[in-house]
Amino acid sequence: MIEKRLERMGVMTDRGKATAYGIVSLSLLLILWICATSLFQWIEPRVLPSPAQVIKQFAWILTEPFSGLRLPGHILSSLERWGWGVLTAGFIGIPVGVFFAWNPWFKTFVNPVFELIHFIPPFAYIPLAVLWFGASTATQAMVVFVAAFPSIVINSQLGVAQVEKIYIDAARVFGAGQLRTLWRVVLPAAAPSIYTGLRIAISNGWMALVGAELVVGKVGLGFMIAQGQENASVATIFVGIITIGCLGVLIDTLVQRSERFVLPWRKVAS
Amino acid sequence: MGQSRTLQVAASLGAILAWIVIWAWLTRPGGPVPTLYFPAPDDVWAKFVRMWQRPYIGSTLPNHILASLYIVLTGWGLAALVGIPLGIAMAWWKRLKWIVFPTFQLIRPVPPLAWIPLTILWLGIGDSARISVVFIAALVPWLMNSMLAVYSIDRLLLDAAKTLGANDHQILTRVVCRTALPTLVAAARMALGSAWSTLVAAEILAATAGLGYVAVNASQLLDTDVLLVAMFMIGILGIGMTGLIGLTQNWLAPWSVLGARRD
Repeated sequence: MIEKRLERMGVMTDRGKATAYGIVSLSLLLILWICATSLFQWIEPRVLPSPAQVIKQFAWILTEPFSGLRLPGHILSSLERWGWGVLTAGFIGIPVGVFFAWNPWFKTFVNPVFELIHFIPPFAYIPLAVLWFGASTATQAMVVFVAAFPSIVINSQLGVAQVEKIYIDAARVFGAGQLRTLWRVVLPAAAPSIYTGLRIAISNGWMALVGAELVVGKVGLGFMIAQGQENASVATIFVGIITIGCLGVLIDTLVQRSERFVLPWRKVAS
Repeated sequence: MGQSRTLQVAASLGAILAWIVIWAWLTRPGGPVPTLYFPAPDDVWAKFVRMWQRPYIGSTLPNHILASLYIVLTGWGLAALVGIPLGIAMAWWKRLKWIVFPTFQLIRPVPPLAWIPLTILWLGIGDSARISVVFIAALVPWLMNSMLAVYSIDRLLLDAAKTLGANDHQILTRVVCRTALPTLVAAARMALGSAWSTLVAAEILAATAGLGYVAVNASQLLDTDVLLVAMFMIGILGIGMTGLIGLTQNWLAPWSVLGARRD
């Protein structure tokens, strides 16, 4: 009993200590950065800009157009391409995954094409996408699609395959047909796994988008970083990297939080 | 059991053949898909054989492959040298984790590719820029899974070692490092997958040899057959390397393979 309580207390203080250590180490890093740049100029600003310069650049891109668009504009065009890619992957991937598990013959036939998409890294599709679609939204969306598609298919398939046989039998006993069983029994039971697939797809797609935008395009966050490289403006690259990272975290958090609303029955099941 | 497996393999082979036939039919001369957008299978094969012998943009195909492998294995290996010890140490000594982990969490959400422009600016377009991007891409899976490997160790083993009189150092080297081995093999696979796909993008952006470089040049020169050869090679090498790592599990950590086979 006492040991348990001590352990619990230990965990409590551990968390406090961890936060303290974290704050100290991050502030030390920030101080080091400030010392190296604005204070003592160990490193040239051309190589590593000071935090103040990065913030200034951030404010500048927010208010003044950079390569045609302000920062929100670049963010929106990135989000648009990413959205198209992930949406298409979801609309095609979920049915494909479900039928993979539902009908083995369908899987045998379609699998070679799927493995091709699965095992060639999404970035290897960039040159092909450029060749097919030029510098359009479709190019980036295709790369996002290739990155997002496999995890959706795999997890949908897994979800359907793991549905308890007894549910399906019960539905059949009650006289439900194949389609009705699929729609009312199998899909809701497989939904958590499908959702996991979508979540992985969403973050994979975001990673792939940056790569695609670095190579081709005239707008977007990846393009902004690439422009920063062209202009030898490290501050712009920093602004881009920070924005991409923050958006990635934001998207993932939103998806995680939304699970409760999209799949209210999951809590009951687990 | 054996018979249904043979049937399955036969059906898969049949499906692959069927797709090749469909591909050949679609891209036949005067077919619905112009070869500018998608080459015929025999063209791709012919180009593959040709590239194997004659140089394409500077090197033969084997040399491009070696260039890619050199970068990816160097970056991956360096990431392992840093990631495994650091990951295990972070899981073993709380304080180290408290100090290092926040910084790590800060850079983790940034896609490894986003570092490419920065590394090019800092290091130029030489090998070191690509190696460092691959290093970043591989470091995250190495480190996270090394930590996970230590955390997933059965407490009973640690307690047993302690009861038998092992000191902290002995537990770390004799118990932790060994029981963590199967998870580390998984880490190696994940890190290599991440490294390989990042390398392709890095080569598309800045390289003078390598499969990604071949792909992007082929795309600019409208050599779709070369592009497909490069894409297939990228895919096959990726599968081959992760497969090899899977095989090493057999002699690195045979007990885990046996355990896996049982269920």
